[in-house]
Amino acid sequence: MKPILLENLYIKVNKNNLDQKLRYNDGGNVHMDFHGATNTTIEFIINKYGIDTMNDIFKKVGNDVYKDIKDHIKNGNIKMLAKHWQHFFDRENADYNISINDEEIILTVNRCTAYEHVKKLVGNVSPNFCDQTIKTNEALAEDTPYEIKTEILGEAACRQTIRKRA
Amino acid sequence: MIPSDHFTRFYNEVFKFLEDQGEEHLEAYWLEISKNQEKHTLELFKEKGLKGMYEYWDHIRIEENCDMDLKLDDEKLELRMNVCPSLSKVLDNDAEPMKRYCDHCAGWIGPLIDKVDHHLVYDVIDRNKPQCVVKIFKDKEKAIEEEKNAKLLMGWPKKKK
Repeated sequence: MKPILLENLYIKVNKNNLDQKLRYNDGGNVHMDFHGATNTTIEFIINKYGIDTMNDIFKKVGNDVYKDIKDHIKNGNIKMLAKHWQHFFDRENADYNISINDEEIILTVNRCTAYEHVKKLVGNVSPNFCDQTIKTNEALAEDTPYEIKTEILGEAACRQTIRKRA
Repeated sequence: MIPSDHFTRFYNEVFKFLEDQGEEHLEAYWLEISKNQEKHTLELFKEKGLKGMYEYWDHIRIEENCDMDLKLDDEKLELRMNVCPSLSKVLDNDAEPMKRYCDHCAGWIGPLIDKVDHHLVYDVIDRNKPQCVVKIFKDKEKAIEEEKNAKLLMGWPKKKK
């Protein structure tokens, strides 16, 4: 199946009259320095409590903070995750694309502005910086019919794929 | 990526974990955040004093979408947060808010202001409402006098007596 552009998806979604309102639909200015605080926090927690503790916190973010998206995934509406990706990667001015077919949705991040901003702020980005994506995604998919695979393609680049479990 | 828009909800999860470990764990984290913030602020505050603090929070007011009034005079800087976006997001959250979420703010700002020999009076007013009043004085005695007017005065790690 040939992937279609996300814009086409939303035409389809609107025609189906699905309620696609994001639970957290932030607007206004963007404070990118928060990514620096996330990097500091990851280093602090891992150094003091170990990586399992950090992963447990990301798991809570996926399960509790993003409960609404998780509920949509449980109910088979994975397009809500695509909408979340689109909204926030747009706000952060990342270079990315989303493709959709019947089986899966793929987010390809060519240039992650969060990673780049932290690199500019502190020089060394935590080697565990992208765990926030990997582990939160795993928690989002846990106990749902879907899996989310996060592949790191290089510095500030990744591919995130949500598809039905085999 | 946890979007920068959602950092405060991530922060809230970190606070809940640390609070379960004990007060000293929370304070150690606030000090780490304070150290991190020094990179953006310490030189500015040292060089320009209250004016530098005004510049920093005026930038934050815009970038973090704060409904906040800033008032600078020769003796003090006053920040009146009418609607705090940080606590507002934590309260508008599918995860449970940490009861003492507001405490982190004095937790990182206090040590920084101590370092530049100014005096912070942090009135959170009510931890369940996204509003607070922060006053930073040049003169210690004026700060001590102002503390008497606070509804819910915040402390911070290693606060100067």
